[in-house]
Amino acid sequence: MEQNSSASQPNRANGMAGIRYGVYNQPSNVAGKTVKEVRDQFSKLWGIPNDAIAYCGKDKLDENAVIQPGQNIEFHRRAGEKG
Amino acid sequence: MEATKRFVLVGAGGIGTWLAAGVVRLLEWKFPGSGLIIVDGDNYEPKNKERQDFSKIGNKAAVKALELTPHFPKTTIIPIAKWVVSDDFSGVIDEDSPKITATQLIRENDIVLAVVDNFAARKILFDAASKLNNIDVFTGGNDDALFGSVYHYQKRNGIEVTSHPAEFHPEYHNPPDKNPGELSCQQRSEIEGGTQLLATNMAVAAFILGRIQKTIVDEQSPEETEIFFDLGLGKAEPYNRLNSSIQIEVTV
Repeated sequence: MEQNSSASQPNRANGMAGIRYGVYNQPSNVAGKTVKEVRDQFSKLWGIPNDAIAYCGKDKLDENAVIQPGQNIEFHRRAGEKG
Repeated sequence: MEATKRFVLVGAGGIGTWLAAGVVRLLEWKFPGSGLIIVDGDNYEPKNKERQDFSKIGNKAAVKALELTPHFPKTTIIPIAKWVVSDDFSGVIDEDSPKITATQLIRENDIVLAVVDNFAARKILFDAASKLNNIDVFTGGNDDALFGSVYHYQKRNGIEVTSHPAEFHPEYHNPPDKNPGELSCQQRSEIEGGTQLLATNMAVAAFILGRIQKTIVDEQSPEETEIFFDLGLGKAEPYNRLNSSIQIEVTV
């Protein structure tokens, strides 16, 4: 299931949400921001690829989806492949 | 606790050889009389020596079973020198690389250790497991030198206790790699092993053993069903993939 927002929201952070990518996990004041804005904020710090899908639970989030307070947003980190 | 178990270890390589050493000890002392099936169609070669634990050249499953058997008399160790393929496999038929389908290999109540080196073979094993009612599949892999991850898929009485990994990992929907068992010998020889380190191989094996200890030996159901780690950063991060509590609130 994919969640999306029909209109881009203003860049106004107004609450905490959890942001995760691989070994990284950071509660952050990003509620009200879009997935794209949060990706831009954390991508350089954590190395999140541009095409990493954002999930809230099992739901895939559209780039324009607005993050809600208390949500846990996970950017997909590919599992380890080799063995 | 069940008296005996049947573990099926698929992939006796950089992770699998270390995992086999741990699992066989666990079976010998916690579940005497159990079986450990080691499955691998590949051969051990000297170039594998840096990361893999073998004492002689030969098929990996056969050599590893031969090495372990004298030391663990209460565990039956069976090698299967075959490549695991999907039920609808229609690719290269090569006399030198015998095949077994995932559904022929695994059965109800098995504990599967999918420590192969590609997503395509893992997908085959997860898909076969998802058709059973009671099954555990532990998988793990590593990339980028010191990064690795492990995942535990579990079904009980037909219900998925943890999610199929494809729910969170598109690489299990459309694997970007190929199952070596479905390639010719020539094609297999052209696959690169990537950047792998012994430490990361052993860490993946250790994380899987830890999860086995919690869930199979201690019969608990902890929520840390997927774990990412980076040995270079000294960090490990658990993820809750239990179907009962996918979304948990942020605590600040």
